[in-house]
Amino acid sequence: MGKYVIKRVLMAVLTLFIVICLTFFLMNAVPGSPWLSERNPSQATIDALNAKYGLDKPVIVQLGLYLQDLLHGDFRESLRMQRDRPVLDIITTMFPISASIGAIAIGWAILVGVPLGCLAAYKRGTWVDSLLRVICTLGISMPGFVVATILLHTLTGGIEGVNLLPALFDGTPKSYIMPCLALGFYPMCYLSRQTRTAMLDSINQEYIKTARAKGLKNGKIIFKHALRNAMIPVLTYLGPQIAFTLCGGFVVETVFSIPGLGRYFIQSIQNRDYPLIMGTTIFLAAFIIVMNLIVDLLYKLVDPRINLSKGGN
Amino acid sequence: MAEKKMKRAIGSLQPDVEEILHWNDLPADAFEPASESEKENFIQDRKSVSYWKDAWRRLRRNKVAMVAMVIVILLALFAFVGPMLVPYSYDQQIRGANNLHPWHYTWEDKQRISAYMEEQNGLANLTPDEAVEQARAEAEAEGREFTRIDEAKVRAAAVAGAQGGGDTVTEEEAAEALGIKTKPFGYSDDELQRMANGESVFPHVFGTDTHGRDILARTMMGARVSMIVGICCALIVLVIGALYGSISGYCGGKVDAVMQRIVEIIYTIPEVLIILLLGTVLRPVLSNFQNSGDGPLQSLVTVLGPNLISIFIAFGMLYWVTMSRIIRGQILQLKQQEYVTAARALGAKGGRIIKRHLLPNCIGQIVTTTFLQIPSAIFTESFLSFLGMGVTAPMTSLGSMCSDALGGLSTYPYRLFIPAIILSVMILCLNLFGDGLRDALDPRLKK
Repeated sequence: MGKYVIKRVLMAVLTLFIVICLTFFLMNAVPGSPWLSERNPSQATIDALNAKYGLDKPVIVQLGLYLQDLLHGDFRESLRMQRDRPVLDIITTMFPISASIGAIAIGWAILVGVPLGCLAAYKRGTWVDSLLRVICTLGISMPGFVVATILLHTLTGGIEGVNLLPALFDGTPKSYIMPCLALGFYPMCYLSRQTRTAMLDSINQEYIKTARAKGLKNGKIIFKHALRNAMIPVLTYLGPQIAFTLCGGFVVETVFSIPGLGRYFIQSIQNRDYPLIMGTTIFLAAFIIVMNLIVDLLYKLVDPRINLSKGGN
Repeated sequence: MAEKKMKRAIGSLQPDVEEILHWNDLPADAFEPASESEKENFIQDRKSVSYWKDAWRRLRRNKVAMVAMVIVILLALFAFVGPMLVPYSYDQQIRGANNLHPWHYTWEDKQRISAYMEEQNGLANLTPDEAVEQARAEAEAEGREFTRIDEAKVRAAAVAGAQGGGDTVTEEEAAEALGIKTKPFGYSDDELQRMANGESVFPHVFGTDTHGRDILARTMMGARVSMIVGICCALIVLVIGALYGSISGYCGGKVDAVMQRIVEIIYTIPEVLIILLLGTVLRPVLSNFQNSGDGPLQSLVTVLGPNLISIFIAFGMLYWVTMSRIIRGQILQLKQQEYVTAARALGAKGGRIIKRHLLPNCIGQIVTTTFLQIPSAIFTESFLSFLGMGVTAPMTSLGSMCSDALGGLSTYPYRLFIPAIILSVMILCLNLFGDGLRDALDPRLKK
């Protein structure tokens, strides 16, 4: 176990390093510079600014210097979007907004999706199962922006007399409803499909027959014996999904104008704000990689039968 | 030994073996040759069923998958044949046809409406004295008595109208008052006039956008872009994933270990972040390449557009991982089979074994995985286009049409709903058909 944990952690660190290097080279390959604006600065100004922020050095040297700063916990300052404000500061003010919406979204997705999957598996072959299957397939076929914009249109006055919720995000509890609904819909449908498949697998096992023969109640069989074994494939999906949802749905934040991390990431690419791109990418990537790592390690806890020495497959 | 006769012990109760062995001896005339018709019947009784025929038979019984297939075919016709039938192109800006709704009033109705509006709104613009004069004249013409009470009413209404200002009659109210109903499809004023003159004009079935571009033509183009992206990405993923997975699975040992570590690293890379970056990086690079000369490669870039190619490359770099894992798993199982050992004993090289023996035997998995890659590629492309990172103007895609429609959502909701519904239906049907295909090609997986 110890060897396995060490190997996994090393892999995670290596992945993060590769992501950092990849992002750095990609970012520098984008033509354009953070200094170009409507004011059209002179070449001398651009050179001076480049020299000041160290952008005149070769890319590989820049990367080395950046990594050095990073190891000291310094994410540098924004070049353009909020000139000279530390990137870490920007991230720490924006992440809580994204994270709170993401947490609510993934929360309702789990609370609704997993029981629905159990229900579909339990009622397999009946109309309940068919109905749930249609809804869930529809749910994973609708891109996030379709769900978000349809919600936006129908609940904010698009239909005569229906004007329940504010269209713009302003931090009030009411304005949280739509983004969370939209963000959680896809994971909910996906989870319910996954749970159904996994439950069908485990319902057909012998130990369920034994439990039934012992005279256990249905609820106990489903939730204690079948669901626990069905959780492994669900967990595989959930790890990266939690990370991604917490880091902000890019689309949902754009549609509802939420000042979250996802939307800011896209804006920083469009603005060529190098330190900000690096900072947000590293933050998001590290978050996702750590979540993956945790899921990998959790496998062992959930299912002791998994043999980690064989690579955990 | 075999010749040795079994000697029966005297008084033994054992049956006589020799006798029993001859029980089944048939007389010489027990057989007769089969007649011609019997021979034919025997051959026709059971046709050999090939793998694909068997799969097709199973697929045909799956109603949901068949309906989905029909819808996918219809959408493909819509996307690839449709633009030939519509006389407008996706980037053609039709003069005087900006912001048309997908409904219209006929030319005569329109004139009646404008006359009515002029009359109503004209009344509202009169000063109180003029309004009273007009009302008195009307009353006299109709032979009624124009009392002081009437006069006060008209004066009050005119004053209120002048102060309110916004009390003018809109087009919809006028149409309602006249009892005129809208007819489907949009036409610009110019086109209505030409129709009134007896010309036949192709309607703007879904209306037009702010630049006067036909939404039907744009939707068709967007659907075409989505389908091309889906199919190309699936093929790229298939080629890279099949090559990588089969080599990794067949070679095994150290090669497999190294290749699988690479796969694991790519697996954990947050792909959306990298795709967003890659898209922005590759676009200008490819545009430069496109303008650098006119070789066959450059013209290929021109045909497909630099944006689409950058999406393909992003997909080719990151999305083959799942495919390679599935194929590796299959090959790890298959390479233990006897026929592979036999092929190796006959001196077949690794490449030949993979190509002739291993890959054809996991064709079911390969086809299903490739097919299910199509909707996921369409999904990702629409997501990128929606964020403004996919195709750029004047080229269009269903995702970018949706994001364009966000601006006028309350006035022109159908501009969002039309591409959104087509996109969702397309992905839904591809998913359903892919599921059906999986059940048909690999019946063991069916739950």
